[in-house]
Amino acid sequence: MLREIQQGKALGPVVKHITQEKIDLYAEASGDFNPIHVDEAFAANTPLGGTIAHGMLSLAYVSEMMTSAFGQSWLSGGKLRAKFKASARPGDTLTVNGKVDCIEQKDDVSYANCTFECRNQKEETIITGEAIAEFSSGRK
Amino acid sequence: MPDKTINYEELRPGYKFPPATYELSASFVSTYLRAVDSAGVGFVPPLAITACAIAAMTKSVPLPPGTIAIHASQDLEFFKAVPVGATIDCRIGVAQKIERGKMSMLILELEVFDKDKVKVQSGRATVALPA
Repeated sequence: MLREIQQGKALGPVVKHITQEKIDLYAEASGDFNPIHVDEAFAANTPLGGTIAHGMLSLAYVSEMMTSAFGQSWLSGGKLRAKFKASARPGDTLTVNGKVDCIEQKDDVSYANCTFECRNQKEETIITGEAIAEFSSGRK
Repeated sequence: MPDKTINYEELRPGYKFPPATYELSASFVSTYLRAVDSAGVGFVPPLAITACAIAAMTKSVPLPPGTIAIHASQDLEFFKAVPVGATIDCRIGVAQKIERGKMSMLILELEVFDKDKVKVQSGRATVALPA
């Protein structure tokens, strides 16, 4: 897994389908029951026109992609900066892709500087951002 | 869990939300993993921990009915993998509050520690709310 990390390497894709059931489960796990997420009648009468997924639910797919690429290094040394550009809705299919833009080395540790993007099935951008994962280069 | 609620208007830079302690039980992690449609990797997903930290805030500050809060951005840094069953201590404070017309941008700083007081995660969230 980590041996394959090099500049230009593609990360992902992670593809997920958003459902109201998953949004409701996320509300249960997170304790965030804002009606814009879980009350379809309420949400239908807002400018958003319907329920939307929690931003952190969609961002979890980015973390899954980074965990797949970097393993425990991501859990104990990862950094991310994300901007939420649009909302994901029930029925959407989200695809997260990323890329290792460059690798920096300091002492015996390598840092992969990555960019990522989460888009829906209409190619609309839901999240953009950057992530850094550290991993051992194996150099002594 | 927080035992005090405050009004949104009371939130000013420097305000610290009441610390909240969570047990990251197998049941919680299972529900989270089903929500995010993931198999998991043997540790608590770091964003599940973030969700707990944010919950500490949302439970302290109930928004007026009909209010739509928009999560605009999120920065996070992970320091330590956390095993299922661990207990964490979440601390959130208000870093900035920017009034922009009919909207307010609330910038929150969060820190999460394990039971040994070792920092496992820190971050910064920007939330847009009606002013």
